[in-house]
Amino acid sequence: MNHNPQSSDGKHDDDSALSDFLASLMDYAPTIPDELVEHYLAKSGFQCPDVRLIRLVAVATQKFVAEVASDALQHCKARQAAVVKDKREKQQKDKRLILTMDDLQSHCASIFIGVWK
Amino acid sequence: MSHGGVESTRDTKKGEERCSSLSGRPKADDFGRSVSKIAVAQICESVGYQGCKESALEALADISIRYLCDLGKNASFHANLAGRTECNVFDITRALEDLGDSHGFPGASEVGNCLVGSGTVREIVQFVDTKEEIPFAQPVPKFPVVRNQKLIPSFEHMKETPSGKHTPSWLPAFPDPHTYNHTPMWNERGSDPCADKIEQARQRRKAERALLRLQQRLVCNSSTGTSSSTVLDAKTENIQESRSSPFLAVPLQPGEKDVSEVVLPAKLSNEPIKDDHVSLLEAYAPAIEAMKTGPSNGLDSEKMFLPEKRPAVQFKFKTGKKVLGELLDLSLQKKGERSSTFFLRDEERDDKKRRAEFILRQTTEYPMELNQS
Repeated sequence: MNHNPQSSDGKHDDDSALSDFLASLMDYAPTIPDELVEHYLAKSGFQCPDVRLIRLVAVATQKFVAEVASDALQHCKARQAAVVKDKREKQQKDKRLILTMDDLQSHCASIFIGVWK
Repeated sequence: MSHGGVESTRDTKKGEERCSSLSGRPKADDFGRSVSKIAVAQICESVGYQGCKESALEALADISIRYLCDLGKNASFHANLAGRTECNVFDITRALEDLGDSHGFPGASEVGNCLVGSGTVREIVQFVDTKEEIPFAQPVPKFPVVRNQKLIPSFEHMKETPSGKHTPSWLPAFPDPHTYNHTPMWNERGSDPCADKIEQARQRRKAERALLRLQQRLVCNSSTGTSSSTVLDAKTENIQESRSSPFLAVPLQPGEKDVSEVVLPAKLSNEPIKDDHVSLLEAYAPAIEAMKTGPSNGLDSEKMFLPEKRPAVQFKFKTGKKVLGELLDLSLQKKGERSSTFFLRDEERDDKKRRAEFILRQTTEYPMELNQS
């Protein structure tokens, strides 16, 4: 491991970035409520009195769910585009994007999450 | 955002959850699951979805809960590995890296990186910076709710010394001896046989009176169809009636004992059952004697087929008005002459009833007369 001043500066930057980020988390309200996160973390043995870490976990979960949802959305849009391409007369009939099990399953399989109906 | 499969709004989601749980028993985790469903639905909406299937939403909520639990498990594992019980940011970072291994993150292949500059954290920072803030739709109370348990007080608390050196004083105290010791019971109430007998006799008399009243009412109700023509035959009828009921019979002289059967009038019962009625009569004997003490004006020759001292008897008038009025006047007069008996209250009630009936009949009959004239 190299400990040159640059990397140490970088570390300091990283440290400050991290601490700044954690501080900014207090202002940010994640979609997943704190009480829910605390409940499930307590269930799994996670013990931490610091609220910032709870927020961090909440944000991480939110990011994960958003990724899964957006990938499933890509599947859904691709499917719709394929349908529209085949039948031109069906002019924007099924405009609504709906989360279905098929999209979810196909994406989750790609990230090694098994989903059964 | 609406559900494709099931139409519902986010606000009614909890109600829906309750409805679906009605079919099965509510589980302990239902609240957490429903809250996570709402959160996941919000996230989907922010991503761009306009609707979702119920099953898909449930699956995604389940996935997110599992992810959350996995994060916690991993973080606590790493903390324990480092000899700590409380987790810190580095434990979470390592847990994120473990979970993110499957779909990769920048810097995953690098070994020996400081965790501060981890790719996962950077991704999260990016995510927070780019994504707009979507707070949760409703305020969530602290859960699960912990009920205050009432603990059994310890020996110290009870200021008792435990009965044995082996028992420390901070253990819960033993229950009081009266809860497990059986002591003989003594009946403190002094028994007064005379008072008991008097009380018994009083209650028996009360029962007899009630039964008598009931009998009278039954007799009155049954004695319909009597007209003025039968008034002359009152005596003979009386005698006939007496065979069927002791209350319509000729009053007994003091000292006499009536051993006839107590039978309901012919309309109500057919065959008298001897056994029961004899015993009934014996029971009624004191009541009958009490009746005798009332004023006895002898039999009324014309009007009532009941002697006067008998308690108020209801009988229906189906004769002409004059006779009706006469009959009633006389009956009322006769009542006035009577002294109060046990049955005064009954008389008043029957009297009122009779008056009401009389008035009713008059109103129905008099208009006819008026019309005619």
